Amino acid sequence: MTYLFTHLADVATLAGQHLALVVTALAIALAIALPLGIFSAQNERLGTATLGILGAIYAIPSLALLVLFVPILGLGFWTAVVALVAYAQMLLVRNIAVGLRSVPAAQIEAAKGMGMTRLQRLVRVELPYALPIIVGGLRIATISLIAIATVAAFVNAGGLGTLIFAGIHQDDPQRIIAGSIGSAALAIVADLAFRGFERRLAG
Amino acid sequence: MKRAQALSLLGCAAFAGCGGGGGTPAIAIGSKNFTEELIVGEIYAQVLEQNGFKVNRKLNLGGTEIAQAALVRGDIDLYPEYTGTALIDVLKLPVSHDAAAIYQTVKSAYEQKYSLTWLDPAPFNDSQGLATTKAIAAKFNLKTLSDLSRAASQLRLGSIPEFIKRPDALPGLQKAYGGFVFKDIKLFDIGLKYKALLSGAVDVVVAFTTEGALVANDLVVFVDDKHFWPTYQIAPVIRQSTLKAMPAIATHLNRVAPQLTDAVMRDLNNQVDGTQKRDAADAARDFIKTHGLV
Amino acid sequence: MDEPAIAMAGVGVRYPGSRTAAVHDIDLRIPAGELTVFLGPSGCGKSTLLRTINRLIEPTAGTIHVDGTEIHALDAVQLRRRIGYVIQAVGLFPHLSIAENIAVVPELLGWEKPRIAARIDELLALVRLDPARYRSRLPSELSGGEQQRVGVARALAAEPTIILMDEPFGAVDAIVRGSLQDEIARLHHTLGTTIVFVTHDVDEALKLADRIVVMDNGTIVQADTPLAILTQPASPFVAQLLDTADTVRRLGLIGVAGVIRAANVAQSAITIDASATLREALSALLTATDRVDVVRDGTRIGSVGFDDVRGALAAA
Repeated sequence: MTYLFTHLADVATLAGQHLALVVTALAIALAIALPLGIFSAQNERLGTATLGILGAIYAIPSLALLVLFVPILGLGFWTAVVALVAYAQMLLVRNIAVGLRSVPAAQIEAAKGMGMTRLQRLVRVELPYALPIIVGGLRIATISLIAIATVAAFVNAGGLGTLIFAGIHQDDPQRIIAGSIGSAALAIVADLAFRGFERRLAG
Repeated sequence: MKRAQALSLLGCAAFAGCGGGGGTPAIAIGSKNFTEELIVGEIYAQVLEQNGFKVNRKLNLGGTEIAQAALVRGDIDLYPEYTGTALIDVLKLPVSHDAAAIYQTVKSAYEQKYSLTWLDPAPFNDSQGLATTKAIAAKFNLKTLSDLSRAASQLRLGSIPEFIKRPDALPGLQKAYGGFVFKDIKLFDIGLKYKALLSGAVDVVVAFTTEGALVANDLVVFVDDKHFWPTYQIAPVIRQSTLKAMPAIATHLNRVAPQLTDAVMRDLNNQVDGTQKRDAADAARDFIKTHGLV
Repeated sequence: MDEPAIAMAGVGVRYPGSRTAAVHDIDLRIPAGELTVFLGPSGCGKSTLLRTINRLIEPTAGTIHVDGTEIHALDAVQLRRRIGYVIQAVGLFPHLSIAENIAVVPELLGWEKPRIAARIDELLALVRLDPARYRSRLPSELSGGEQQRVGVARALAAEPTIILMDEPFGAVDAIVRGSLQDEIARLHHTLGTTIVFVTHDVDEALKLADRIVVMDNGTIVQADTPLAILTQPASPFVAQLLDTADTVRRLGLIGVAGVIRAANVAQSAITIDASATLREALSALLTATDRVDVVRDGTRIGSVGFDDVRGALAAA
C-alpha cells in the first residue's frame, strides 16, 4: 500500500473528483427517473417497454457508450456524467416503479375518496410509502456508479479510474491497489450512509 | 474540474478565432492511454510550455476513437497519432509499406476530410509485432513470421483485445502468411501481457516494437519477412485552425521529431514500464534536457 | 327540507365490454339527515352504487343530484372533499400521525391551523379516543377498532353533510363491531349527518337504518323502513334475506313507549326502562310475570303485558 501512503493527497483529490461525478450523475438521474418511474408504475405495458429500453442501455459496454458520446459532447466531466446518468436509469426507474406499485389499494382508495388530486395523492401518499424502496434503489445505484465511474478516466474526466488504469498500463500494482482502495472506501461509506438513512425512515 | 475545463474550452475556441492576439497562447494536448503515447504527449506539452505556451493536458484518453473524436470536435488541439493506425483504423484504407507514401496519404486525407494536418513524423517505427523468449525461439527454431505462421498450432498466444479483430492484426496476418491458427489465445491488457509470457502462461505475445519490456527482458521480435505490417510513425496531428493561429507550434514540435529514434523510444518506455516505474512526465523532462530541446 | 340529500334517477353502471350492467334502473331519493343502508348479497351492486355518489365510479346512465347539484356540474375532486368516505380497510396513511391523518381534508380545503387543531381534538373526543393519548400516535400503534374510529373521525373532519360508508365494520371482531355500530348510531343522532351505509349484515342494517334499500342483481327490490320491510316484504327474496318470519326480531324495532298501559302499574319485580324495545319487554315477560312495569327517571309510569306486545305486532 506504499503508493497510497506516499500519494495520499493525490488519491484524495481523485476520490473527490470521483465523488463529484457520482453525486452529480445521481442527482440528474433521479430527476429523470422520478417521472419515468411514475409513468412506468401507472402504465403496465409502457412501463415494461421503458424498462426494457433502459436495460438495453445498461448492457452497453461503458467504453462503447463513451465513444458514442464524445463526438457530440466532447471530453470531460459532463460527458462522463451523461454516461453515468444513462446507466443509473434502469436501477432507479425500476425501484421507483416497484415502490409505487406496492402502495396498498386501501390507501389509494381512501386518498381518492377524500378528494386528493392525482398529484396530491402521489406526493402525500404514494411517494412517502415508496420512499424506503426508492432510497434502497438509490443506494444500489450509488454503489454501481462508484464502480462504473472509473471509466471517466477514458474521457479525461478524472476520478479514481485514472489511477487504476495507470496502474494496469504500467504494470504497477501499487497504483491499482491505491485506486481500488479509494473506490472501495467510497462505496462502503455510501452504503453505510444510505443504510443509516433507510433505518431512520423505517424506524 | 468542470469549470476549469469549460473555461479552457472557451479559451481554446477564442484563440482559434482571434489568432492568439494578446495574453498567453493556450492549447489543449491529448494522448491515448498507453505509456508511449503518454510520454510523447508529455514531451509535446513540456516543449510548448518551455516556449511560452499554456498547455491544458487531456492525456490518457480511452483509445483512438475517443482521441480522434475529441480532436475533430475541438476539445483538444493536437495529439500524437501513428501513421499506420491512421491509415488503417481511421481512414480504413488498404495496407501499404512505403513509410513516406503512408505519411503523405494520411496527411492529405486528414486535411481534406477533417481539417486536421500532420506535423513531421518521428523516425521510430512502433509497429505491431509478435515476440517470444529466446528460449522458445531456439526450441522451435523461429526467426521470421513465416516460421511462426507454420508453428502456431503448437503455441499459445497472449493477445490484447484489439489484436484479434483489427484488420491490420491477426486476421490480416492469417491472410498474408497463411497459418497463424494458434493452439490457444488468451486476452490481456497491454500492461500484463509480458508477465504472461515470462510466467509461461503463453508462448508468444503481441508486441509493439518500441516497448521497453523487449529490451528489459531480452526478448526476440519476429522478423516481418513478407512486410505485412505498415510502418507506424508517430507525429503530432493538429487542427488546421490551431496551426494557423499559432504557427510556432510546428517549429517547436518539428524539432522534437528527429530525436525520437527506435532506441530512444524503447529506453523511454523502459524507464516508465520497467523496474524504475518513473512517471511519464519525469522521463519526458529528462529527455528534453538531454537532447537540448529547451 | 324537501330537497333530498341524494336523488338518483335512472342510474346505471355498465363496465366496457361487459354484457350485464353492474347496476341498473336505480331511482332513489335519500332524505337529508337519514341513515340509509344499502343491503344485499355479494355482487348485488350495493358498493358500486355507493361509489357513484362520489364519482369513484362514473354512472353510465341516469343522473345523480347531491344537495340539489348534479354531480357532474362539480369537479370530481371538489365533490369528494365535501363528502365523507369510510372504507372497510380504513386506509389510514402510515407515515402520518393520527392528527395528521384526520387533518387531510381540512388542509386540502385550506383551513387555518388553529381551526384544524381544534377540530382534531373535537373529533377524537367525539369518537371517544383521548386526544392527548392518540393525537401523536401512528396508525400502526392502534388496534383495528381504534383505526376505524379514526377513519370515521377523518371522514367527519371537514364537516360534510353526507358520509358514505362501505362495509366499514366488516374487518373487526364481533364485540368491537357492536360498539362501533353504537358509535355510529350515537354520532348520527348527535350530528344529524346524512349517512349512506353499505352492508351485507342484516342485523347491522336493522340496528342502524332509518331506511333500508334492498338490492339484488344490480337493482333495488325494496326501499322502506326496517319495520315496513319486515312486516311487508316485497318478494320472497326479501323475505328470505331478512328472515321476515322471525317475529321476535321485529320486536327489536318497536319501542315500549307507544304500548304502555298508562295507569296500570303492576308493581312487578322486574322493570324495564322507557327507552327499551318490545324485544326486551318480551324477554322480561318470559321470566314468569304477566305484566312488567316501565320506569322513566325513577318513576313507574305504566306497564306492558303479552297482549300489548301481540297487539303491537299486529298493528305494525
